[in-house]
Amino acid sequence: MCSYVIETKRLTKKYGEQTAVDAVNIHVEKGRIYGLLGRNGAGKTTIMKMILGLTPVTSGEIDVFGQNIKGREKRVYPRIGAIIETPGFYPNLTGTENLEIFAKLRGTAAPNAVKNALDIVGLPYRDKKLFSKYSLGMKQRLGIANAILHDPELLILDEPTNGLDPIGIAEVRDFIKDLSTERGKTIHISSHILSEIALLADDIGIIDHGVLLEENSMETLKRKNSKYILLQVSDIPKTSLVLERQFGVTDYSVQDDHSLRIYNASLDMAAVNKALVVQDVAVISSQLCNDTLEDYFKKITGGEGIA
Amino acid sequence: MLKLIQTEFLKLRRRKFILLMLLAALLMPFLAIFYFSGFREAGVDTIQFYKWTAFSYTPWIILPVVLGVFSTMLMYDEHQNDMLKQLWIIPISKAEYFFSKFIIVLSYSVCFMLLTAGLSVLFGMLPGYITFEWGSFCYLLKKCMEIAILTAFAIMPLLAVAAAGKSYIFPVCVTLVYTFLGFILLMVNMYLHPLSSMSAIVMGDIPGVVLAQTLNIPAALICITIWCAGSVALAILALGKRK
Repeated sequence: MCSYVIETKRLTKKYGEQTAVDAVNIHVEKGRIYGLLGRNGAGKTTIMKMILGLTPVTSGEIDVFGQNIKGREKRVYPRIGAIIETPGFYPNLTGTENLEIFAKLRGTAAPNAVKNALDIVGLPYRDKKLFSKYSLGMKQRLGIANAILHDPELLILDEPTNGLDPIGIAEVRDFIKDLSTERGKTIHISSHILSEIALLADDIGIIDHGVLLEENSMETLKRKNSKYILLQVSDIPKTSLVLERQFGVTDYSVQDDHSLRIYNASLDMAAVNKALVVQDVAVISSQLCNDTLEDYFKKITGGEGIA
Repeated sequence: MLKLIQTEFLKLRRRKFILLMLLAALLMPFLAIFYFSGFREAGVDTIQFYKWTAFSYTPWIILPVVLGVFSTMLMYDEHQNDMLKQLWIIPISKAEYFFSKFIIVLSYSVCFMLLTAGLSVLFGMLPGYITFEWGSFCYLLKKCMEIAILTAFAIMPLLAVAAAGKSYIFPVCVTLVYTFLGFILLMVNMYLHPLSSMSAIVMGDIPGVVLAQTLNIPAALICITIWCAGSVALAILALGKRK
């Protein structure tokens, strides 16, 4: 049995008649990065806000660290670090001073916690620049530093790379990855940028109009969307035999009565076609397909793509 | 709670306007120089001088307005900078948050009145209206502390309104209405409005002061307590809705 750090059961949020989140079941496994992908307004932030108790739940349940969060906020929240939307800080204070306030409020015991957090995100310790003079990227970094300040077991990061330049995005991505792989943190991250999630997440949830359309491991999703040969033939069982016995191909999947996908795209299709004809199998078509994650996203959301 | 109060003080760093507002403590002592210039020959009673500089318009109008604006700044800035959600997920309780703000307002009120006391002595002695006496100085300090503490409690409804408001304008307007209403009601019914009740308690034993009603300290304290309890309830409710 998997130990889920976050598990939602038919989580629903309604604003009047409008349903922002509709019976969502999310499963975030311990030590993994879960990417919640969806367009702007899909309901990603609302889900995160509900997990953090920042907005009331209309119906459904949220379990964090295996316990229902309601009434246990004081025990559970200190184990979580979070950024929701653009993080706000005191504009009249420096980054260090801001983090010192949060460290004090959290009762962070480690003497170098503030310095370490700033080092990780690449911000200077004890500089004189006020938060009001920070660029958007620096503000975002400070938000991340604040989220990791108390060394939480779970990080909930709502679009953490917003406003960062490409190098900054890569840096943030690397240290989020490190936090998961080296320090065993569980990370729940949201983004509307598919490439971002694809590079970072171990598991992915695709949400659209408040509905979780798919939840799967990135490995499975990539496999679904890598290069493959789509073969349409008259006889699937015979084709399977030919592929397995003559070509040693096992990495294929049957789609329906007349089509199958072969995931070894380097297979010599001329030889396959010849072998099938010899076995009295009519080859209707054979084509190399290359679906991307974006194509897949378009397909399952039934609409526009995502950046 | 102590940590929360400590951080509230840290948050005030480099807030020059907060220091500038303390200059309002200069107003009455400064005006007293001109007001009492005509009485120099006849001699100025020290307590009457202090009554004018520290026990009249300062607690009636100046201090409540300054504390109302200060409360609005404390509450509004965190809302404007989208700080609250970061504080709630620490987590910090709404009641502790509200009381920590109140402690800051109370401290500011004490600083303001200590400054008023100091300036009253200075602006009385420099032109030679009064001479320094320990007895009257201690009386001045005692009264200033009474004013500082009671006014901080009496403006708790303004802190609650600031907690509920999303802009500067509404709480500041409420501050002005609330302050002037308190001043007006002092002459009508002293036990309806916390500021009137505060003024009644403070002025009740000042020589030469005649109140509109008989001084009833328990009634005045009950009035302040009821308003404070209502304010705490309103603030917790409002903060719960502010994410």
